[in-house]
Amino acid sequence: MLACQHLFIREQVLLRGRAPWGFTLRGGTEHREPLLITKVEEGSVAAAVRLQAGDEMVSVNTVTLSGSRQEAICLVKSSHNSLALVVRRWDVQPCSRS
Amino acid sequence: MMTQVETTVHYDNGYEEEYMIQEEEWDRDLLLDPAWEKQQRKTFTAWCNSHLRKAGTQIENIEEDFRNGLKLMLLLEVISGERLPKPDRGKMRFHKIANVNKALDFITSKGVKLVSIGAEEIVDGNVKMTLGMIWTIILRFAIQDISVEETSAKEGLLLWCQRKTAPYRNVNVQNFHVSWKDGLAFCALIHRHRPDLIDYSKLNKDDPLGNLNLAFDIAEKHLDIPKMLDAEDIINTPKPDERAIMTYVSCFYHAFAGAEQAETAANRICKVLGVNQENEKLMEEYERLASELLEWIRRTTPWLENRTPEKTMVEMQRKLEDFRDYRRMHKPPKVQEKCQLEISFNTLQTKLRISNRPAFMPSEGKMVSDIASAWQGLEQAEKGYEEWLLTEIRRLERLDHLAEKFRQKATNHETWASGKEYLLSQKDYESATLTEVRALLRKHEAFESDLAAHQDRVEQIAAIAQELNELDYHDVAGVNKRCQSICDLWDRLGTLTQKRREALERTEKLLETIDQLFLEFAKRSAPFNNWMEGAMEDLQDMFIVHTIEEVQSLIAAHEQFKATLPEADGERQAIMGIHNEVQKISQSYGIKANIVNPYSTITIEELLNKWDKVKKLVPQRDGALQEEMARQHAHERLRRQFAAQANLIGPWIQTRMEEIGRCSLELGGTLEDQMTQLKQCEHVIVAYKPNIDKLEGDHQLIQESLVFDNKHTNYTMEHIRVGWELLLTTIARTINEIETQILTRDAKGISQQQMNEFRSSFNHFDRKKNGAMDTDDFRACLISMGYDLVGCFKLCRGMGGLLYYFQIFMEKHSLIMYGLFSKLTHTVPSLCLCASVSQGEVEFARIMMLVDPNATGIVSFQSFIDFMTRETADTDTAEQVVASFRILATDKPYILVEELRRELPPDQAEYCIMRMPPYKGHGAPPGALDYTAFSTALYGESDL
Repeated sequence: MLACQHLFIREQVLLRGRAPWGFTLRGGTEHREPLLITKVEEGSVAAAVRLQAGDEMVSVNTVTLSGSRQEAICLVKSSHNSLALVVRRWDVQPCSRS
Repeated sequence: MMTQVETTVHYDNGYEEEYMIQEEEWDRDLLLDPAWEKQQRKTFTAWCNSHLRKAGTQIENIEEDFRNGLKLMLLLEVISGERLPKPDRGKMRFHKIANVNKALDFITSKGVKLVSIGAEEIVDGNVKMTLGMIWTIILRFAIQDISVEETSAKEGLLLWCQRKTAPYRNVNVQNFHVSWKDGLAFCALIHRHRPDLIDYSKLNKDDPLGNLNLAFDIAEKHLDIPKMLDAEDIINTPKPDERAIMTYVSCFYHAFAGAEQAETAANRICKVLGVNQENEKLMEEYERLASELLEWIRRTTPWLENRTPEKTMVEMQRKLEDFRDYRRMHKPPKVQEKCQLEISFNTLQTKLRISNRPAFMPSEGKMVSDIASAWQGLEQAEKGYEEWLLTEIRRLERLDHLAEKFRQKATNHETWASGKEYLLSQKDYESATLTEVRALLRKHEAFESDLAAHQDRVEQIAAIAQELNELDYHDVAGVNKRCQSICDLWDRLGTLTQKRREALERTEKLLETIDQLFLEFAKRSAPFNNWMEGAMEDLQDMFIVHTIEEVQSLIAAHEQFKATLPEADGERQAIMGIHNEVQKISQSYGIKANIVNPYSTITIEELLNKWDKVKKLVPQRDGALQEEMARQHAHERLRRQFAAQANLIGPWIQTRMEEIGRCSLELGGTLEDQMTQLKQCEHVIVAYKPNIDKLEGDHQLIQESLVFDNKHTNYTMEHIRVGWELLLTTIARTINEIETQILTRDAKGISQQQMNEFRSSFNHFDRKKNGAMDTDDFRACLISMGYDLVGCFKLCRGMGGLLYYFQIFMEKHSLIMYGLFSKLTHTVPSLCLCASVSQGEVEFARIMMLVDPNATGIVSFQSFIDFMTRETADTDTAEQVVASFRILATDKPYILVEELRRELPPDQAEYCIMRMPPYKGHGAPPGALDYTAFSTALYGESDL
């Protein structure tokens, strides 16, 4: 009867290689939307680490994001060789109730 | 008293002239000194008497007693040893003269010319004549024959005197007068001939009287020389009478020289006899030489015949040297001797034959033939001696060589063998490890091959010893002894080698066995040790249990474990057995090595200690488990108490929640009616609080007992708390919601009917009826409201719905998309087909982000209303725009300027042409534009 409080999980991924990483970022405080990954290209580095569309970007290279789109894009673009992301993911499997 | 008469005596010998000259001088002196006459008278008288006494007479007065001539004739007879004519016996003067003449004639017949001496003067008693006649006699018979080296008589006598007195330093005889005055000359003469009669060294030159008297006394007593002068006669005259002295001295001469003459005579006889003697001497010499030679041969022959070999080369060589010496030095003189002997023998025989003597007959066995045969024997012995020596030396050389070889080989072998016996007898393997024993075995094998290699050497040594025996080596005993000791040692070495090999192999086997046992020990002890460690760990395991069942299962496990103990004990005994087996082997076979198990670090003591510990731990564990069992029963009571409470409270809260939900869901009533109901409900809830507090008390007891679970109820304290709080907040929020709806209704001007419509949809999908849709409900709600989450477009009922959607979109985007969407109205089916499932999920996720930004998992009615009012106004996405452009671009990834101008109104076309970046992909014609980038930029999307 009580709702599960943990619908989101935090996923930490490390992308290795170079840009393009193979995902599309959308939103930001500029657009009054959360920073969401909306697309992951098949066969890309992003796909390899199981990054998923719908993941909300929380931090880039250990820098916790304020939500600004500009900031997030700058951080991603300044990454070379590796890109460490923490995303908040909607757990698609519904939490079972006790 | 005597008259001086001129003497006219002449001698017919060669020195008369000289003599006469002296005589004249002498006569003159004589005439001047009557002392001389006295001296002559005394001297001559004594001289005559010394001869006459042989005839039994003497004279008293020299001029008287010779007057009748009888005594004169007698004197001459005595002196000459010849007979004179018979004297005349008459006393007549003529008789006397006749007799004197007869004497004078005799003197004349002896070669003396009597000048101016006539018989008458003698008969008349003329002193001077008488003395002269006597002097003539003395000269003729006593002095004349003194002739030394063809000199005159006087000189001869003088020379004799000089010679005889020469060794006496204080005597210098130069004449027959003053030279004799001190008497030393007389003494010297006596001493020279008869040193026994006089002690010359005591004489003193200044005592002439003593000297002279001594000389005259000794001469008279021992030499039968009558005293012819008195010492005083000589001393008291400046120059003694020469004739007197000469006469006296001549007596000395005759006394001494007479003896010499006697000797000479004897010698003459000796000469005669000499031949005989010589012959005898030769015979003796022959005998002696023969004896010596025979003796030498007798001595030498055995030496040559002695063929006893010497022991050493050196001795043999010395023998050879001796032989060489014999041949070079000793034999040659003997050869000569032998030769000489033969010659001597022949010479002797010849001499004997010549002197008409009987032939020499050597004594028995010393005949020439004997010598020859003895010599032949010697030669015979000598023959072959050298050859024998050389042969012997060669033999010794060979022996020396062999002996040296033997010594060397023996020494080498002994050096090699020395210490081997000790090494072989060593019991080092007793304290060695298996590896060491194997190494010792390898080493021993190496030694065995070394030993085998030495077999030949020992045989060689024995062979040499054998040869030395055969060659009769002098120190055969030593060689044999040494050889024997080598052979003995060899045998011992062989035996010891065999024994050692056996011992080593036995030890190796034992150690292998031990090793196997060790391995077995290690194999079994390791898991056993591990098991024990595990067991100890388990036995000491701090169990944290929450239920009786758990304790029971622990007890069951423990029982199960205990059941395995006998088996484990069996294993322990087996391991002990292995260990004991090792001990037994070690002890019974006397292995002293400190044997350490190389395969295991686990000692038996360790195992036993652990075993003891395990055995001690088992009952401890039993106790602990029982204690725990009791504790769990206590806990169980607490749980049941708590569960009974919670099971009442939980449903009560749920019932209240449902009441509230029903309140808010009930349609028909106004918002104000709902508010009244909710307020009543709130009152009931607040009144229920003590029940919750009591449960908290029970919960505290449980927590203090560290009980964290409770199977008798699904409710935890936390559930109850959350539920209670939720109930409180829900009632508060619902009241607030109603208030908000009242406000929203009034603010947005949403009609009660519209509100009811939203509400009925919401309620429909709020299947749990708790005033909130969960995600699945919301998804279903969205789909019912026309959201195609499988595709990406909201499927409205019919094309009108779609157009409505486009209108909303265009309002928001300055109608840019109008043309685009009017095109889309013709191509909806294809749009629907190209949408993908994942895109639907993404879209849904995006919507969830909007309606449930705090991820509570539920969508409230308020957020549903917000979403519905928002969605109806703003429902475009970049994908939607991209998909639209792709339709215009007939599925190309780019779009051309003319396509834009053809499809879109001029204003919008130019807007797009100005903003669209050039397409960068491949296979596009120049002027191609990237509508994807344009669209995503439009919606704030970036491809990263």
